[in-house]
Amino acid sequence: MIYKNIFLRGTLLGVMLMLLVSCFKEEPLNAEADIEQATLTVDDPEAFFYNATDATIDVLSDQTTITFEVRGTADLTALAPTFVVTEGATIVPASGSVHDFSQGPVTYVVTSQDGNTHRTYTVVFRRITHTVTEVLEFNFEHFELDHQFNQFYVWHNTLADGTLGDDWATGNAGFKISKSKAKADEFPTVPDPNGYEGFCVHLITRDTGQFGIMARKPIAAGNMFLGEFDISVAAMEPLKATRFGIAFTQKPTKVTGWYKYHPGEVFTDKERKQHPERKDQGDIYAVLYRNHDANGNAVVLFGDNVLSSPQIVAIARIPKTETTSEWTSFEIPFNYKEEIDEELLMNRGYNLTMVFSSSIEGASFEGAIGSELWVDQVRIYTEKEE
Amino acid sequence: MKRIYILMAMVVMALTAMAQTTLLDDMKFYWRLGYGIGGNAPLPMPATIRSLNKFSLQPNMSIGVDANRQIGDHWGILAGIRFENKGMHIDADVKNYHMEIKQGGETLAGYFRGKVDTQITQWMFTVPLQATFRVNKVNIKAGPYVSILTAKNFSGYAYDGYLRVDDYTGPKVNLGTEKNERGDYDFSNDMRDLQWGVDVGADWQFSNHFGLYADLQWGVSGTFKKQFTTIEQTLRPIYGIVGISYRIN
Repeated sequence: MIYKNIFLRGTLLGVMLMLLVSCFKEEPLNAEADIEQATLTVDDPEAFFYNATDATIDVLSDQTTITFEVRGTADLTALAPTFVVTEGATIVPASGSVHDFSQGPVTYVVTSQDGNTHRTYTVVFRRITHTVTEVLEFNFEHFELDHQFNQFYVWHNTLADGTLGDDWATGNAGFKISKSKAKADEFPTVPDPNGYEGFCVHLITRDTGQFGIMARKPIAAGNMFLGEFDISVAAMEPLKATRFGIAFTQKPTKVTGWYKYHPGEVFTDKERKQHPERKDQGDIYAVLYRNHDANGNAVVLFGDNVLSSPQIVAIARIPKTETTSEWTSFEIPFNYKEEIDEELLMNRGYNLTMVFSSSIEGASFEGAIGSELWVDQVRIYTEKEE
Repeated sequence: MKRIYILMAMVVMALTAMAQTTLLDDMKFYWRLGYGIGGNAPLPMPATIRSLNKFSLQPNMSIGVDANRQIGDHWGILAGIRFENKGMHIDADVKNYHMEIKQGGETLAGYFRGKVDTQITQWMFTVPLQATFRVNKVNIKAGPYVSILTAKNFSGYAYDGYLRVDDYTGPKVNLGTEKNERGDYDFSNDMRDLQWGVDVGADWQFSNHFGLYADLQWGVSGTFKKQFTTIEQTLRPIYGIVGISYRIN
């Protein structure tokens, strides 16, 4: 009887351990409070939007301003945008409620399913009128620390109406993943008061530390581009994190500006192997591409196809960044592969991106830590209309 | 390491003293060789751990020597020393799970939803001190134990999910399943060197020399040092050990 008990005890022990791990509690409620997608449904989308695809916006996880770009003639007085929020979350004012956006943005507050997390979103309808600007100027004077972490710099450009836009993006948010405690000046893209005039943008190829080695992304080139940076894929598919391009309604002819370049000492590859025979170079280029494919789907160019996609219409790329400690001017013409479709141009059918990088092979994580590119006073010239 | 030698010396001295001060007939010595299954588990299981996908057996060997002295017909006292591993390898689904991805001096903290693979190794010297109650060939044992760790590892990776950096409003960072897409962590240095708990078990002396035994070692102290807060719940080492014993005298 007792012997039996001993065996029983042994068995019980195992069973007990199994029970310990199997006593799972009920699933916790969702704690996130995101707007994942915003949509505006209108009776006549053709009259309201330049492109039907502009009616739906996939909201990035670090964005809290949602901007719909609409025709200059769009009536904003009674619009009812709808939102896809985190499962179980609630939104106030309600998704689909009617608001007057002609007086400015409307603020929405999302509360998570568990009631503990709140996120405030600003929804803006920006009327895009077809302005003719012969020269677009970018002087990189408007920057601030990001609002989420107060840790790295973000830049703003001056829009046609004088307000500040978010057209310039950098990979700084991605660098934050690998070096979470880095100070503002230790990020790959920083402002520098010693510009050609005022501030310039200073790009530095940085060491991504232990995480970078682990992920076989040992360096982060300093970069800046017209477009947006999607941090969610930065760790897994970094080439998909750089979403290049903003809608552009004029035909660009050339890009000019000033730069300085200083290559880092030791060129390394993805495995962090040194290549003494290779020397780093910076990169400056602009790409104009069709932002919809033949089936009408919206197209964005990424790090892996920004210079090779069949959607590309024109490229302007600096032949070589000279090593120089003096401000050096550049003037690069757009090299057109195909004719511009004027009607498509007017209807925001083209995207333009402008890219600066402190390491030309930075997208493949090859380059020299410490390579530096300074850029200032960038001008994009466009063709005068007849 | 110094502490380990001191502890070992103390045990050997105690055993020797016991052997000298009592009649050898009163004192029985045993070798033990066992195998353990268990885990460093939060109790109760937090809601943030959703399910266990995989539980792999680990080389949790336990080898030791005991001295058991009878005091009266039933009662006795047991002391010993073991060298053993308490290891665990699990893969679990988690939600809203506070997590810190850590490599070298770099950390990335936040709330993770996805899968977590954790491997624990804890090689240690354990000294049990138990009261025993003998009925025929069966000896029931209960009492405290103290362990000193000689090698420790608590590492793994978060994968196939996403991390909200810092808090739930932070940027979403997707983690994949490939080696260079997931988030590794290593908390080995945050583990305690000294563990203690309660050991309840039984020995069954089925032949003159050989016996079977089973012990449940229930950790009262947690796995990690007090300052360590990344894992919000206290993980207690709870391991069951079964094996064979050999009576020396």
